[in-house]
Amino acid sequence: MSEAKEKKPAYKPPKQKLTKTYLKRYWQLYALLALPLIYLAVFKYLPMRYIILAFKEYKLNMPLSEMPWANVRGETDALKYFKQAFGNVDFRRALWNTLKLNLLDLIMGFPAPIIFALILNELCFKRFKKVVQTIAYMPHFLSWVIIASLCSQLFAPTDGLINSLIVRMGGEAIPFLDDPSHWVGTYVGAGVWQSFGWGSIIYLAAIAGINTELYEAASVDGAGRFRKMWHITLPGIKPTIVVLLIMNLGYIMGGGFERPWAMKNNLVIEVAEVISTYVYKVGIQGLKISLTTAVGLFQSVVGLFFLLAANTISRKLGERGIW
Amino acid sequence: MKKKVLSLMLAASMVFGLAACGSSDTQPAAEPAAEPAATEETTAAEPAAADTTEAAGPDERGMQDGKFVDTRHITVELYDRNVDGGTEAGNNAWTQWIQQQMLDRYNVEVEFVTVSRWDEATDINNLLASQSAPDICYTYNYSAIQTYANMGGVIDLAPLLDQNKDLVPSMFDWLGEDVIYQDLDPNAGTLWAIEGKRNEICRINTFIRQDWLDKLGLEVPTTKQEFEDCLVAFKDNADTLLGADASKMVPLSISYDVGWRAATLIESFMDPAITDKEYYVNGYDSRAFTQNGTKEAVRLLNKWYNAGLIWKDFAVHTGDDTTEDDMIKAGFVGAFIHNYDYPFRNGKDSINATLAAQFGDDAKFVAINTFEDKNGGYNKYTYSNTGDRKVFFPATNDEPIASLCYLEFISQPETIKFLQIGEEGVTHTVDASGAIVIQEPDEAHHDWYQNSGKNIDMTINCNGLRLDTEELTVQSLAFAYAEVDPADVQDAIKVALVDAKTPKTPSVGDIQAETEGTDLDGKRDQAYDKAVVASEADFDSVWDLGMEEYLAAGGQAIIDERTAAWEATYSSDNL
Repeated sequence: MSEAKEKKPAYKPPKQKLTKTYLKRYWQLYALLALPLIYLAVFKYLPMRYIILAFKEYKLNMPLSEMPWANVRGETDALKYFKQAFGNVDFRRALWNTLKLNLLDLIMGFPAPIIFALILNELCFKRFKKVVQTIAYMPHFLSWVIIASLCSQLFAPTDGLINSLIVRMGGEAIPFLDDPSHWVGTYVGAGVWQSFGWGSIIYLAAIAGINTELYEAASVDGAGRFRKMWHITLPGIKPTIVVLLIMNLGYIMGGGFERPWAMKNNLVIEVAEVISTYVYKVGIQGLKISLTTAVGLFQSVVGLFFLLAANTISRKLGERGIW
Repeated sequence: MKKKVLSLMLAASMVFGLAACGSSDTQPAAEPAAEPAATEETTAAEPAAADTTEAAGPDERGMQDGKFVDTRHITVELYDRNVDGGTEAGNNAWTQWIQQQMLDRYNVEVEFVTVSRWDEATDINNLLASQSAPDICYTYNYSAIQTYANMGGVIDLAPLLDQNKDLVPSMFDWLGEDVIYQDLDPNAGTLWAIEGKRNEICRINTFIRQDWLDKLGLEVPTTKQEFEDCLVAFKDNADTLLGADASKMVPLSISYDVGWRAATLIESFMDPAITDKEYYVNGYDSRAFTQNGTKEAVRLLNKWYNAGLIWKDFAVHTGDDTTEDDMIKAGFVGAFIHNYDYPFRNGKDSINATLAAQFGDDAKFVAINTFEDKNGGYNKYTYSNTGDRKVFFPATNDEPIASLCYLEFISQPETIKFLQIGEEGVTHTVDASGAIVIQEPDEAHHDWYQNSGKNIDMTINCNGLRLDTEELTVQSLAFAYAEVDPADVQDAIKVALVDAKTPKTPSVGDIQAETEGTDLDGKRDQAYDKAVVASEADFDSVWDLGMEEYLAAGGQAIIDERTAAWEATYSSDNL
């Protein structure tokens, strides 16, 4: 908190006028900046005009502007597809599952890399640390399809390695994949396993940036390992943690497609169907483009609100937001 | 200065690079209407162009002596089954033969667009949405075509056929008016797709390991109870049958697709006296989910599952996962229900050939009739021989005439015969009785490998063997599978036809509700799977809940509309 107070009278750069000399000197920087801007415009902003499909009847043989407004037997009802979505039990279930699985992911998955980074930071053997780090990064490079088939090899009810070991030792097979509540555990666990190593990189970098004099001074004052962790390392990486938390909250309504798609099966569908898989199944496979555009739009808007709210709260608490 | 020039060039080149990527990516989506409009223009322009030529020149289609004057180009859908040891789906000796024939006969260049057999629906959706679907598409699912048509994505074939009937005599010969116009909407007069025909109507069989029965001294089961006793015997004698692998014993294996993989059982619970109307009304779904009797069949499966007679992991393996096949081939499975010829498919890789190679010639699956219906017969359904894969032309097809020529070519008996059996000595031999015996081509002729049995993926409106005469066809059917005992195939065909009924195909027009359900197939499979694994006490509630969800997701609307359409078209409950 004291740190934040010190920051209050923030440094303001002198105002720079866009003069000829200025442009002459720095135009190269602007030219470089143009590239990502164009990328964003072409791939992120231009496609956004198709959002309007959520209010129209999709046709295969018409330009966007000529497609008729969503209608029920000829009577225009631009919100038809939103009503349809919210009247649909599958959508409501997918919405709830998205929130539930992402929240669990956040609770279980967010602290894991921080703890891992703290532990790694305390290791004295450099070589061992490197090896552990490398092994922990590896799962990040596996696609979800591979992880899902690994899971089915390991956790299948009877053929799976783990269950056949348990049964052989006289235990009862655990329904990792075929019982809904167990499946959620497997799903979240696989997510944490896949990402904690990679996620720790950014924290390690933040830790490396902490002034070592602080640690030395603390040692002189008699602080032990845990004291130093608690009072120096953690506060040192707090801004990083907050920024990442905000970004993760922004994803709470989103989330990837591959993971639930690859891991789901018919027996656990009531907990495994999320918005992204629902949109794929109904929209792409079932060609209900307008309905699923409406769902996607709803998802994005709610996601945006989460992000804005998290950012505002963090600024109120005196931390830096992401903007 | 140098640096400045360099950075300017770098920046510029990246900008252009990006811009180029962007525009090529967005353009097709941005101008969806441009192409169909162009289609009309070209078709409209053709007669005009023809007028200016001399009398002896090409006709209004741009054809002279049945051949296009200018080379035309069409694209044709082809399933890619990604066969182990197969050839490239869109480029092999067979596709090249078709291309050469079409060029010689019609001066039409054919380009094959391959789509995954297992994701064909999604692939075609994407191709249609991006305005790049092949000129000739086919799928098994009529309601998908209807959905495309509702979105303006399909050409109405009715006027096209009216004007060009003279171009497709072989197609009319082969399919007949009834099949060609089966999907004609009686009210709107539109024809979105041309149905294909099945020449082999056998559908599903129950298979059991003959050598296991022999080893345990069991008779071939002929009733449900006897079948269950066999399963129990397999389970209890796992040590004898599998030795060290006893724990891997699976008396009966099914997959997540219960409706298909228990079909003979389900159909035995249906009333053999069911009317055509009732069968049709509940027949949207080839998995008999809403038919009367299905619930009791699944209750029996549920009982077997809870008694440990059914593969526990069936529901967690989805899609084209080969775990179950591998398990059957490894010899851990005692019985299964599947396509009538399933153990014989794929030559050396077939289930029976694999088993024989490991455990000797006695080890094999044989087809049996064991699920008795209420009359003591073996009630079951074959495929309908009319109505199979449906061919349609997307709205982006700007060569409808040339595409019709392709349908004509692919309907000709000689074309079908060649694609199915190929050259003597390479892909088939003729035995003493004159029957055609299919064989795998040797290494030197590997390019003639058939990626789908009898190249059914290429003979798009003929599914099943079709030789010069019907007699020869029947005689050769059992020899159509390389590397397995023809006697077993012959038996399987016989078994599949005992008490079998061929569904009638009514022509009642488009059922709109079939395009409106959301994920009905998924719902159906989920309901089936959950009911099988439920505890016996929960079975009723689990089944009823699944059924309720299925009906609410659009199943009921289909049943209602089908009922209404039947009643509007026919006065009797039987055709």
